[in-house]
Amino acid sequence: MDYFTQRPLRNSDIVWRREQRKEERVLRALEEGEAVDEQGTVLLVVSGTMHQLNLVGGMIWCLCDGTRTVDEITAQLADEFSVSRDELESDVREFFDELQQRGWLSYV
Amino acid sequence: MFDNFTDLFSAPLTINWTLSFRCNFSCSHCYSRDEQVAELETADVKKIIDILVAKKIPFINFGGGEPLIREDLFVIAAYATAQGLNVSMNSNGSLLDESAATRLLKSGFKSVGISIDSADPALHDDFRNMPGSFEKAVAALRVLQNVGLKRTMSSVISRINFQHFHELLDLARRYEVAQVYLHNFKCSGRGFKNREDLDLTPAEWKTFYVEALRVKQQTHDLAISFDDPVISSLPGYDTDPLVNGSSCGKLSLNLRPNGDLTPCGFIPLTVGNILHDDFDEIWYNSPVLNQMRNKRAGGKCLDCGSYEACQGGCTARSYAVTGDFNQPDPHCWK
Repeated sequence: MDYFTQRPLRNSDIVWRREQRKEERVLRALEEGEAVDEQGTVLLVVSGTMHQLNLVGGMIWCLCDGTRTVDEITAQLADEFSVSRDELESDVREFFDELQQRGWLSYV
Repeated sequence: MFDNFTDLFSAPLTINWTLSFRCNFSCSHCYSRDEQVAELETADVKKIIDILVAKKIPFINFGGGEPLIREDLFVIAAYATAQGLNVSMNSNGSLLDESAATRLLKSGFKSVGISIDSADPALHDDFRNMPGSFEKAVAALRVLQNVGLKRTMSSVISRINFQHFHELLDLARRYEVAQVYLHNFKCSGRGFKNREDLDLTPAEWKTFYVEALRVKQQTHDLAISFDDPVISSLPGYDTDPLVNGSSCGKLSLNLRPNGDLTPCGFIPLTVGNILHDDFDEIWYNSPVLNQMRNKRAGGKCLDCGSYEACQGGCTARSYAVTGDFNQPDPHCWK
């Protein structure tokens, strides 16, 4: 199946929480030109171990509910951050590959 | 700009919840055996669950007292799991027959932990002041296995078992336990009164943890967990990248039977009542919680290179022995 038409789905064993208050502050910092790559906005608990995803990773994660295709998720992110799809595609793919490798998501 | 713990964590991840201090056992190390607190009605317990759901707190672990003494435990758990919470509990196992195990499964429990302190039945029974308690504990593991509910085993490390913890791991394997928690000894309640008889010396703690970490690294068929920040300085310990030191008041809070919140079950300082006070106000602004999250090195910690990782070790133990969060953990060998 074409990669772009696959629908990523989060592993349901992973407990996670979107930290909205932090996300709002990170978005403000981003608008002010600050580096926010290292700032977590989504917490994951995977087999008892905590992880965090940064703003972009967290946004992607929130969209991986099995209803959206890779294509749709990439388009939504491009819109959110006002960048072209081409700029995002390889980063998004790399992120999905890593999550899949870790067993954190699958495609439906 | 993001320096505070609560910048990322808008709430704890786990509520350790004592629905009742009532217990049919009388263990030598129990933190709560002499506690007496009014218990909430089921309706108020459900109100609390609604608050936890609203605050997106994903895990509840029922402890005690013996959780199964509350007859509405199944109703409470079913209410919580229906709203997406992950519910687990710790039990002495004595009331956990096949029927109870089936009801635990049906009410949505993700896992059930059974407390076993020695693989030697006589030692376990003596420690728990209850003849036959070992047989009941392993029978509970068996019925949980029969109904297909995930099992964990909890052992409080003390003088009776620190040289024999391998046997506890073998026992866990026999019942296909998923995870063994080797809990550090807390100086609270009877644990404080019986400290001289039960607690290890700092040197013994170090010897125990060096060996336990070695075994953990070489064990692949069983998850072994420690919850003791004092081991941060030892080789082979994976420091949590998000939270250093005690997780109490950071990743978890403790709920007492009347709805009072404390940083953990072993620190007798109420920071508010979940039914009467605003949760966010407690979480973000409690002076006690903020002191625990922003400890300052005291005593021998001042010159210690491990302080950043261990943050003075177990805050509950420091407070129990010295009355000061910032004093070094009395278990520290450095």
